[in-house]
Amino acid sequence: MFLAMVKKEFLLVLRDKHALIALFIMPAIFILIMSIAMRDQFSTKNIEFTLYIKDADKSEMSRNILQNISKDKNFIILSDKKVAQFVVKIPRKYEKNSKNTIKLTIQDSIKNDQIEVFKSMLSKHVLSARFNSMAKSVKKYSKKASDTLSSLEVSTDKLYKVKYNDSKLIPNSTQQSVPAWIVFGMFFIIIPMSTIYINERKQNTLARLNSMNVSILAMTISKSIPYLIINQLQVWIMIGVGVFLVPFFDTPALEINGSIGAVFAISVALSIAAIGVSTLIAVSASSSEQATTIGGILNILFGAIGGVMVPKFVMPESMQKIAELSPMSWGLDGFLDIFLKSADIFVVMDDTIKLVSFGLLSLILSMIILQLRITKGL
Amino acid sequence: MIKISNVSKYYGDKKALDNLSLEIKEGIVFGLLGVNGAGKTTILSILNGLVDLDEGNIEVFGLDIKHHKKDIKTISSIIPQHLAFYENLSVEENLDFFSKIQKATKENYNRAVEINSLSPFLKQRASTLSGGQKRRLNIAIGLLNNPKVIYFDEPTVGVDPKNRNEILDSIKNYKNLGLTVVYTSHYMTEIEKICDEVAIISDGKLVEQNSLQNLLSNKLSDNVSIEVIYKDILKTLKINLIDETTILTTTNELSSILELLNSNEVPIKQIRYGSTNLEKHFLEITGQH
Repeated sequence: MFLAMVKKEFLLVLRDKHALIALFIMPAIFILIMSIAMRDQFSTKNIEFTLYIKDADKSEMSRNILQNISKDKNFIILSDKKVAQFVVKIPRKYEKNSKNTIKLTIQDSIKNDQIEVFKSMLSKHVLSARFNSMAKSVKKYSKKASDTLSSLEVSTDKLYKVKYNDSKLIPNSTQQSVPAWIVFGMFFIIIPMSTIYINERKQNTLARLNSMNVSILAMTISKSIPYLIINQLQVWIMIGVGVFLVPFFDTPALEINGSIGAVFAISVALSIAAIGVSTLIAVSASSSEQATTIGGILNILFGAIGGVMVPKFVMPESMQKIAELSPMSWGLDGFLDIFLKSADIFVVMDDTIKLVSFGLLSLILSMIILQLRITKGL
Repeated sequence: MIKISNVSKYYGDKKALDNLSLEIKEGIVFGLLGVNGAGKTTILSILNGLVDLDEGNIEVFGLDIKHHKKDIKTISSIIPQHLAFYENLSVEENLDFFSKIQKATKENYNRAVEINSLSPFLKQRASTLSGGQKRRLNIAIGLLNNPKVIYFDEPTVGVDPKNRNEILDSIKNYKNLGLTVVYTSHYMTEIEKICDEVAIISDGKLVEQNSLQNLLSNKLSDNVSIEVIYKDILKTLKINLIDETTILTTTNELSSILELLNSNEVPIKQIRYGSTNLEKHFLEITGQH
């Protein structure tokens, strides 16, 4: 009996083309688009600026500056000032008069943080040239002072040692996008689940099944199993998209640094939560249109506050606290811990327990509502 | 035998059934008549164990409903008014699914298919069936567990006259298979055609229970009802059609009506003399004038 119910549910979902698109195609497309679109924001490659340099001074110092810039991989010197992000003009008598300043002309589209980074990187070369010039000037008075000035290190790379807190690896755009859209896609089971459920309820098929001695518990479990399997398929297909498909678009591949067992635990827990919410909406709504609308809005809300659409780390602290209310956020944290921090099953246990508890509570509430609806003929 | 004794059911403050008592004999077609909200669906829901009764008791083939609800469900079946199956599954997939749910035998499966003439449509998606074929699938599912009693909740709603007659004929045949049939309908003529016994309920109370024969003969008149095979031309003739296939006339007009039917090649199925319109009687005793 139980197998027949599971098979029936599978057949119904597999014949719903719209549902399959929402469950498999949509998240895959989102992963591709977002990974590619956010690639540069998460890039660990050298920062590159294009610039055009006009040397009006033609001094030893200005030549020194030009030489330093040309050796720097962060700078690409262009011959057309119209397309360069920055135009650097070294004025006449720059070396002789220390009050003269280098003039920067910047394209409108350049953001303030980029300007600050550019200025900081350029300063390294300007200061180095100035120190060299000063070292030459003082050499005739003191060789020791000259050597000290020459040895001054202005590169920040050698001044600071950078280490990421709590993480061995730096995230890339794919590692951010894949878990986010897996979580979002999993909750989309609400569309087929609520449509089938409400049709069964409205046409008295559930009542008919109940009159055939099929308990509400058996109905609920048999409906949950196919979606649990569908959710697992979603997870591994989306991971496949991240690992194999995304690199074709010159975007870093997804790396699973944590344990596969942890991926399985968090994805099953997420699935139980998604099934719980979907069932609750399906038994509460009075029409499939209503369920789809409520479900869609709830999904977007969970996604918006849960860090799917906007990563949680860029949210203000108050929003991050609100994000903790979203089950999508619990699932996303779990996945990010696995992908970025090499988490094992014990690390994601807290999120797993929260998701399973949330899902089971929703399912219990759904069963109570469904029982009331069947006995009242609603 | 089904024995309903002093049953009451409340939905909040509303009394859906009020101290209702009925006896339904084994192997008959029993008609349950009542206007909307009279309590017909509530009785069927209680008999199927979907809804619990508040007062009184029910025995279905010797089984007390309070203690043997599961057993009663296995020997009974309900044919809901709505098409309670899966439109996106084929006829065969639907029948397979409901067979497995009820652990139906192959023999019962084949019988349900045969009685409802579903063999040619087994591979067809249920959503592509005609209205009548869908109704027949809805009924076939109810026969899969080989029930002792089968409850029909207005099964001909939205069905064309040809399929309606086929469904009614098949229901009459269930009696020959030894089944007890409880039939609710808005169409009085359907009750007249297929039922052996009728109970009329109003506001959750029993108003009258009698054999159809007694109900009709008590109201003898010069009325004659002519049952015919449906033809489109019937709608254009100057006759008193009380449903798609039943003409009500009087003994004086009978010969002219028969001539008219003959000239229009409308086949006659049955002529009943002294008949009254059950609807007329129903309206009289329930005061729904």
